[in-house]
Amino acid sequence: MKKLFNDILSMKDVKGVMLFSFEGELLFRDFSSLPSTFLENRDWTPFIKALIGVQEADLVFETLRFYIRKTTTGYLMVLMDILAPIAMVRLNCDILLPSLKQENTAKGLRNLFKRKK
Amino acid sequence: MIKNVLLVDDEQEMLLSLKEGFEKYSDIFSVLLAGDGEDALEKLKENTFFLVVTDLKMPRMDGFTLLTHIMIDYPDIPVIIITAHSIPIMVKMAKKVGAVGYIEKPFMVEDLAQKIITTLRDQSDGGTLHSASSGLFLQLIEMEQKTCTIRLVNKSSGRRGVLFFREGILLDARINGVHGEAAAHEILSWDDVILSIQNECSQKERNIKGELQAILLEAMRLKDEAAQGEDATITGGEERETQKEDSIIIGYEEKEAERPAEERITEKPDFNAIKRKLEKKIGDRRGVEDIYQDNSWDGLVSQVAGVGEFFNAGKLKVCYISEGESRDFILLPGEKTTLISLNPDALKGWIIEVLSR
Repeated sequence: MKKLFNDILSMKDVKGVMLFSFEGELLFRDFSSLPSTFLENRDWTPFIKALIGVQEADLVFETLRFYIRKTTTGYLMVLMDILAPIAMVRLNCDILLPSLKQENTAKGLRNLFKRKK
Repeated sequence: MIKNVLLVDDEQEMLLSLKEGFEKYSDIFSVLLAGDGEDALEKLKENTFFLVVTDLKMPRMDGFTLLTHIMIDYPDIPVIIITAHSIPIMVKMAKKVGAVGYIEKPFMVEDLAQKIITTLRDQSDGGTLHSASSGLFLQLIEMEQKTCTIRLVNKSSGRRGVLFFREGILLDARINGVHGEAAAHEILSWDDVILSIQNECSQKERNIKGELQAILLEAMRLKDEAAQGEDATITGGEERETQKEDSIIIGYEEKEAERPAEERITEKPDFNAIKRKLEKKIGDRRGVEDIYQDNSWDGLVSQVAGVGEFFNAGKLKVCYISEGESRDFILLPGEKTTLISLNPDALKGWIIEVLSR
């Protein structure tokens, strides 16, 4: 699955990606600089629930930027530096989404991503 | 007039072979090279270009981001996109953000050269004068109420500038990265110029408030002062004006925090300042339908701000939200959330860029 996100993750200034279920469960994450427990210990449910109805979001902060995209599985969130090429990130997501859908249908994404307790 | 064209690509070999291939057109245009978008922006500040040809996928700053900067800060410079990734959505996006042409790699050097020449020719469709006094000529433009873009070269110094006229009114002037009256004063002080006229004007907003006559007189005064050894350099008034408008919008939240709570509730952000800023930077194509306060989005904005805090991302500046089916809007955080609704053709990338600067 990591291979699927390689194009995005290899882009300059992209810090990582996270994929959430619509219930707020963290299904996949790949961050070069953050320990996995840092992300997994947070309750993402209120944030993901607040996104209901949102197809796409671009959240700009002082030092970071988050690009969020609704997928068939849930929400994909790309974390990047403020100067990251957002248009290229969006384009890579356009390219990635059909593959994500195929992967979901073929293998059952939920099982594939399930974290070890 | 030989026109400067900026070629932007991270493939050094490609740039060099293009430069070599374009040598036979050196009586029409000359080329300067940049390795990526950031390098291109630096070169745009230092030189006058008539056209930019750029790749899309590049390190540091990609072609889309460069295109966005050009459309905001250099609206008179057309951009041709070259890329190996000819995906329909990419073509659509490139055209949406203002590219005038698109060419797919691999291509023939001659094909790109013809595209460049055609685009450059359009910039002087109203004719070229090889030895003119800019002041006298521009007064004629004003009298005839012409709409045009005039590109000038000072024959003595080689400096180049652009003037934007709409129905005889001088809207803006630009020398490299400097806009407004400061640039107009320098251009109008040039005695002997080559000028080419394009019968259209991409500039929408009026950045020069004074009448042409007053600008001409001030230009002469500054020229006299310079001749007397005084410094009459461009001061960057445009930048100060933009910073002032930024502070009206971005500073709203800081001002709110300083006020007593009972005052804060009734206070509204300056919607006109937001509109003015977008009009000034993007013009008629901004696509804003409405601006109003809508506290039904406070919950989402609060959650987003919480995520930002978790990642130590600093203060939330802008949220762009698309709900599909043409429902696109921008949320600005504050005591109550400000909502900017956008029409389907809005240049959302520019708007986010302008509001988050």
